[in-house]
Amino acid sequence: MRWGVLQFPGSCDERDALHACSLIGEARLVWHEERDLDGFDAIVVPGGFSYGDYLRAGAIARFSPAMEAVAELAAAGRPVLGICNGFQVLCEADLLPGALLRNESLRFICRQLDLVADGPNPVDIRPESARRRGGVLSIPAKHGEGRYWAPAAMLDAIEANGQVAYRYAPGQNPNGSVHDIAGVTNEAGNVLGLMPHPEHAVDAMTGSTDGLKVFERMAAVAA
Amino acid sequence: MRVGRMVELEADDPARLAELCEKLLANPLIEDYEIESVDGA
Repeated sequence: MRWGVLQFPGSCDERDALHACSLIGEARLVWHEERDLDGFDAIVVPGGFSYGDYLRAGAIARFSPAMEAVAELAAAGRPVLGICNGFQVLCEADLLPGALLRNESLRFICRQLDLVADGPNPVDIRPESARRRGGVLSIPAKHGEGRYWAPAAMLDAIEANGQVAYRYAPGQNPNGSVHDIAGVTNEAGNVLGLMPHPEHAVDAMTGSTDGLKVFERMAAVAA
Repeated sequence: MRVGRMVELEADDPARLAELCEKLLANPLIEDYEIESVDGA
């Protein structure tokens, strides 16, 4: 299992993502100027503030050479996980539906949250074990622009297609996301965007290892 | 209504400005844009 973890100027969570991936397989960082990602089984687009979040979060990063290759991998059905800023990048790149707006509070939030796995899509990359347990994952979130939004017709389609991968547990929506959405997939289910940070929840010392299940499930899809 | 940003550009090919807005300067899903030509356009 070979993981590629993208790194843009301004990324800041790529090291934790690299660590999480290395617990499951081989992993290395991929500088944003690399165009050849054929050697990877799965790609992580990590969190941070790519290109300083100028214009809009993710708006510049989507044009990087590496993202062209990510789009090709996604079209070929390989797993792509976008976390936080990576989620924003994937939305800007039209690899995921919708957009992430400023938090309803207009404040940066940072807290441990419960996520509920959702959606019937059988080929997506949600943790099977989480579904068995009623689908609750304890994972931290930290963002200023995490309010998921999509136009009504798009939202209806996302719900109908089972593309909502995770919702914030009842009463824990930290940012005003529509339908409590924390993560969505593309129609095929191989591209997942998640606002909270599973890469920060892979060691019991930090309070939860639930995040590892997201990476384990991705590995299973890639196999 | 909130003005998110104002961008001033010197454009060699003003005909491409709409495309530039659609692909980069604005996210049409969440933002509207207006193009105003000034001075010499």
